Amino acid sequence: MIASKLKEAILSLRPGRVTLKYPFEPHDPEGDFRGYPELDTDKCIGCGGCAAVCPARLIMIQDIDQNTRRLVRLLERCIFCGRCADVCPEDAITMTKRFELSTDSGREDMVAECEVFMATCQRCTRCYEPPTPLDRIMEPGFRDDEIKRGGQDSPYEPVKSE
Amino acid sequence: MNAQQLGENVKQKFGAKVIDFETLGSDQLYVTISPDSLVEVAEYLYRNEGCRYVINGGTDRRQQRDAFLITHFFAQDEEKIYVAIHTEVEPDNPQVDSITPVVPAANWSERETYDMIGVVPVGHPDPRRLVLADDWPEDLFPLRYDVEHGVKPPPVEGLAPERLEPPEGASVVPIGPYFPVLEEPAYFRVFVEGETVVGADYRGFYCGICGYVHSCSYCQAVERAAGIEVPERAEYIRTIMLELERLESHMLWLGIAGHIIGFDTVLMQTWRMREPLMWLCERISGNRKTYGMNLVGGVRRDIKPEMYDDVRNVIDKIGEEWAELAGAIPGDTTLITRLQGTGILTTETARELGAAGPTARGSGLAIDVRVDHPYAAYDRLEVTKCVHDSCDNLARVLVRIEETLDSIKIIHQALDEMPDGPIMAEIDEELPAGRQAMSAVEAPRGEVFHWVLTGTENRPERWRVRAPTYANLQNVPPMLEGNALADVPISIGSYDPCFSCTERMEVVDVNSGQVRVYTEEEFRAEYDQPRDE
Ligand code: SF4
Ligand code: SF4
Repeated sequence: MIASKLKEAILSLRPGRVTLKYPFEPHDPEGDFRGYPELDTDKCIGCGGCAAVCPARLIMIQDIDQNTRRLVRLLERCIFCGRCADVCPEDAITMTKRFELSTDSGREDMVAECEVFMATCQRCTRCYEPPTPLDRIMEPGFRDDEIKRGGQDSPYEPVKSE
Repeated sequence: MNAQQLGENVKQKFGAKVIDFETLGSDQLYVTISPDSLVEVAEYLYRNEGCRYVINGGTDRRQQRDAFLITHFFAQDEEKIYVAIHTEVEPDNPQVDSITPVVPAANWSERETYDMIGVVPVGHPDPRRLVLADDWPEDLFPLRYDVEHGVKPPPVEGLAPERLEPPEGASVVPIGPYFPVLEEPAYFRVFVEGETVVGADYRGFYCGICGYVHSCSYCQAVERAAGIEVPERAEYIRTIMLELERLESHMLWLGIAGHIIGFDTVLMQTWRMREPLMWLCERISGNRKTYGMNLVGGVRRDIKPEMYDDVRNVIDKIGEEWAELAGAIPGDTTLITRLQGTGILTTETARELGAAGPTARGSGLAIDVRVDHPYAAYDRLEVTKCVHDSCDNLARVLVRIEETLDSIKIIHQALDEMPDGPIMAEIDEELPAGRQAMSAVEAPRGEVFHWVLTGTENRPERWRVRAPTYANLQNVPPMLEGNALADVPISIGSYDPCFSCTERMEVVDVNSGQVRVYTEEEFRAEYDQPRDE
């Protein structure tokens, strides 16, 4: 009994102080950390690849008019998986090391928008031949929660398909 | 025996009642039987073929087959076979015989199947609602395809869950939903006579923290169904990550167990030892807990050769300190008195109720998916089944302590033998629809089981998951019986439960002895909290 208690005491004393001073001193994540997914709006071509793979389904694509596509990201739901960054053909998304992302100013802080100018085909006035994978992800059932019901969770109007 | 032979056995025994059977490889058997023979076939598999019960699931196949598909899953661990028994039920008369009377472990999942798909398990001994909220409409079954996705029925007030009544003369001690030693909400109604527990009722379940095991199991099921060949290196990486997760989880668990019995030295030390492991996982995967590394076809991140030393250093350090800590435990009479002979789960009950993982192995059941149904790279590695047969809390502690040391060995061996090569399979085409596969992974808490039926456009048509806590929680009431009340928390803690939060508040008035259940609204009103819409 005593021997056991002694062993335990030694085990506890040996490491000394291990508690970090965080948050009073910064503690940067190591390695290829997956933090806040930052979107470089200059690079984005609006292909919708990120929206198609995002497991949290938080990236919404809205075609405002023939030439403007809006990407809305409801980042409060982001699980920091980094799939969007993986598939982006233009490397427009980077997984940064930022992880201190709490906010006290409501959800607006968590919503990021970008508008992309889309060059269209002069003949068919679309960017790609329909049905594109993007058309498919807009079908009810897949993105149903936001798109079909106008998104009870979403501050945005539903996408109207023509 | 392989799956084909087992299928032939069943066919021979039940003749025309077996409509059809097919196999996937030599280790997966899918039998379709007529509904009237379900109980017989289940009993035959369970009693005569030595199968262990896994779970039950229901699928709405009215569009394809004009039927509800009810499926019971079994595992034959000695012969390394998983068995699915499919029965098609007519939609006009959604009823099927309950197998719980002959296979007690089916109890919860049959209730859940009724909740979700609305096929009545006829003859079920305890057909109370299991997973849906109490105010969910009686006739709305969420897994039916005609139920609109995202439907939110209006809340109804004043409903309470049906509860088991305590035996004559016993009083009720509610534990939970917020109980200081169980960090997650869970709710037990423990029936006591004096200090001795005579029974218990439980509601609410699910396990979620061990994330890697589920993504791994799901990906494996889809790969199997679609016939995708995963590169060998990816299999080794999966194995290493699974073992790192087991290390992390067992260390966390031992800390909690120490904390529950009032021995916080163990908590502080195991969690201190565990932290470098969390950072290691962060360096490898990009996050300390949600590794996010699995995709259908392989893994997203490689463990580069220059990281091997890093991994070895971290786990060796843990191994050293862990052995020291483990060496101190058997001599510590305080610990031993709390653990030895408490929370007895007999081998018999553990088998009847389908216990999994360390809970089963602490009760002398030598089952471990890594050995019985090898996946990833486990067939090439040396895995020891850590079994103890004293059936008490101490057994479950020892199983986990030994497994931790074994995991370290497995990781070393995997690093030594890991071949070079790609980590993702090339998948150019859409995955075929209408194929099914089962897959299981030995999570830190026990067997995680996934069944996938593939659909069109790379989406699953049906996906059934069983987490180990689902099986293990059903073992709690018998485990608690006969214990002193003070041993209840550690007994509950001893199988590393992981809870969802679906419970209510029960208040026992000590003067009148009256029990009343608060609904969510009443509870909020009492504490003046607005309901967030
Ligand atoms: S990191 Fe994952 S969850 Fe977050 S936006 Fe990208 S794909 Fe979606
Ligand atoms: S994948 Fe990249 S380029 Fe395409 S829409 Fe997303 S951010 Fe833009």
